[in-house]
Amino acid sequence: MNGNLVVLGVALLAWGLLFLYLLRLERRIRDLEKR
Amino acid sequence: MALRLLLFLWIAAAMLGGFLWAPLVTALGASTRVLYFHIPSAWITVLALGWSMLHSVQYLRTRRLDHDDQAAAAAELGVLFCIVAAVSGSLWAKAQWGSYWNWDPRETTIFFLLLIYGAYLALRSAIEGEEKRARLAAAYSVIAFVTVPFLVFVVPRLHATLHPSPILPQPGERGAMDPRIRICFLAMLAGFTALFFWILSLKVRLVRSERRARQESAAQS
Repeated sequence: MNGNLVVLGVALLAWGLLFLYLLRLERRIRDLEKR
Repeated sequence: MALRLLLFLWIAAAMLGGFLWAPLVTALGASTRVLYFHIPSAWITVLALGWSMLHSVQYLRTRRLDHDDQAAAAAELGVLFCIVAAVSGSLWAKAQWGSYWNWDPRETTIFFLLLIYGAYLALRSAIEGEEKRARLAAAYSVIAFVTVPFLVFVVPRLHATLHPSPILPQPGERGAMDPRIRICFLAMLAGFTALFFWILSLKVRLVRSERRARQESAAQS
C-alpha cells in the first residue's frame, strides 16, 4: 500500500477523532454552564 | 455548529490537497508533507505564548482573573503545540539530516523554550492561592516571553544551522513555494489558528465553570 496514503489516512482519522472529542467536550461545558 | 463543521472540512480539505494535489519539493521528497503540520504548529506556539503574555500584562494592570484564565490556557496550548512542532521537526530531521535530534541551534532553542514554559506550568501548579498564583505567573509569563523572539528568530540566525529560514521566500524568489503547496500551507495555517482559538475558548470556559461551581459550593457550606 502507498505509504503516503497511509499517513494521510492516519492524519485524517486523528483529526476526525480530535474534532469529535472537542464537540463532545463543548457539549459537556455547555451543560455545566447551564446548571 | 456550522462554523465548527466548516473548520473540520477546511482542515480535512487542506490535508487532502497537501497529500493528493500539491506537488513534492524535489529536495525534500515525501517529507515535504511534514511542512503542513510542522510550521503551523510552530506558528501557533508563538501566537499562544504571545497571547499568554498579553493577557498576563492585562492581568497585572486590572487584576481580573479572566485574564489569568486566558494566559494560563494559552500557555498550556503553546507548550502542547511546541511539542507537536518539536516532534514533527524531529521526524523531518530524521528524513533530511539522518538523525532525529542533533542539537542543531533550532532544536536547542525549542528545547529551551519547552523548559522555560514547563517551568511556568510547574510554577502555576505549585501555588495554592488563586490571586497569588495569578500574580506570580503573570510576572513570569511576561519575562518568559522576552526570550521567545530571541530563541525562535535571533539565536538560530547567529549560529550556523541546517534549518531553513523562518521567513518564507516570496513568489518569484529563489526557493519560493509552488503555488499549490502555498495554498495548502496557508490553508493549514489558517485552520490551525482557528483550531487554537476554539480550544482556547473551551479551556477558558471550563476553568470558569469549575471556579463558579467551587464558589457556589463554598457559599452553600
